[in-house]
Amino acid sequence: MKGFKYYKPQSLKEASELLKEYNGEAHILNGGTDLIIRMKENFLHPKAVVDIKHIPGLHAITFDKEDGLRIGACLSLGTIAHHRDVVENFPIIADSAEVVGSGQIRNRATLVGNICNASPLADTATPLLALDAEVIIYSPNGTKLISIHHFFKGVRKNCLNVGEIVTGIKIPYSKNLKGAFKKGSRRQDVDLSTVCTSVVKINDEIRIALGAVAPTPIRGKMAEAFAKGKNLTHETITEIAKIAVAEASPIDDVRSSKEYRLHMVEVLVTRSLEELKV
Amino acid sequence: MKHEIYFTLNHEKILHEVKANKTLLQMLREDFDLTGAKEGCGQGECGACTVLLNGKPINSCLVLAVEVDGKEITTIEGLSEGINLDELQKSFITNGALQCGYCTPGMIMTAKGFLNANPTPTLEEIKVAISGNLCRCTGYKRIIEAIIEVAEENQSKD
Repeated sequence: MKGFKYYKPQSLKEASELLKEYNGEAHILNGGTDLIIRMKENFLHPKAVVDIKHIPGLHAITFDKEDGLRIGACLSLGTIAHHRDVVENFPIIADSAEVVGSGQIRNRATLVGNICNASPLADTATPLLALDAEVIIYSPNGTKLISIHHFFKGVRKNCLNVGEIVTGIKIPYSKNLKGAFKKGSRRQDVDLSTVCTSVVKINDEIRIALGAVAPTPIRGKMAEAFAKGKNLTHETITEIAKIAVAEASPIDDVRSSKEYRLHMVEVLVTRSLEELKV
Repeated sequence: MKHEIYFTLNHEKILHEVKANKTLLQMLREDFDLTGAKEGCGQGECGACTVLLNGKPINSCLVLAVEVDGKEITTIEGLSEGINLDELQKSFITNGALQCGYCTPGMIMTAKGFLNANPTPTLEEIKVAISGNLCRCTGYKRIIEAIIEVAEENQSKD
């Protein structure tokens, strides 16, 4: 690993000023499970690393029915996956957090880090898309909320400007939420998703989010529109899954062929809807 | 530039100077001669470098040494008290849960952190818990048996 300056700011303002001072050549360090690998392998060599874990206020989970769930930037995936408010009200978030990497990784890696990496296959991205989550961003001009639908800009590209820091995620609460998170991977544990899906049912509304099948995680809007107002019969489910496949545009890579990914979309969406219809 | 860090290493308070680009694993091995934790993959896939950070298993190859300022680190060397081995170490020996031994310190530290949080797990929970630790010799059977034995002892203590 090449040398870099290490900073441990005590406030968001201080962290933001450091990031601006280095004008794109400093990197935020949170859990580090992606950043340190990328630095070791020379994909990244920032001049400075800004560790945000000592900034107060980034380690909290709060929940109430009005405000929804707020997950602080520095909470580990392991903590999130077992947190009572998450497990009871947003089990699909807990399920997606529980399948990232290994136990050791989940003790360091964070949900906000998973999102900021903007990997097309980020396991926690699809439930956030399906639940219309908002990203809470500190910017030098004040705090702003950006819809998760506008956060991802491409493979490993997010919408943050230099000096902006994601401080948390806000997820609206729905009383009648049912959800299914599915991950298809080469082996069951400690693997990246070949395809991952989140399908949720809120009252009669169906929402479908797909991971690892496009440059960013996506929503299957056409499939959702088709599902609107329909009973989830076997025939309808088959049709919804076929439309979702048509919305995916996966690539071939080391984990899978494009054709296999398309087939996985159909299988995972079908299984999810079969679970949710009862 | 070196950073001064103050942390607890195997129950001992330590003041140490370290460069920002040194990983926790490198610091443990090179500066403290604690060579139990191993570098396998260097990418958080194999778990050979697992140590406990504030009681939880983590991959020490993916943590910067400077990040452990104010924290508590336990390595395999910190499990035994003199020649008195930890119950998990004893169980690995009596069950023959190792062949080449390269994965063993990481495997034991993962199991230690896991059993601290969940003293009486199911077989399935044990399998998932050690899924971040690769062993290329044993086929895992005896490793799992060694962990079950300690879990059963925990159960009988209840």
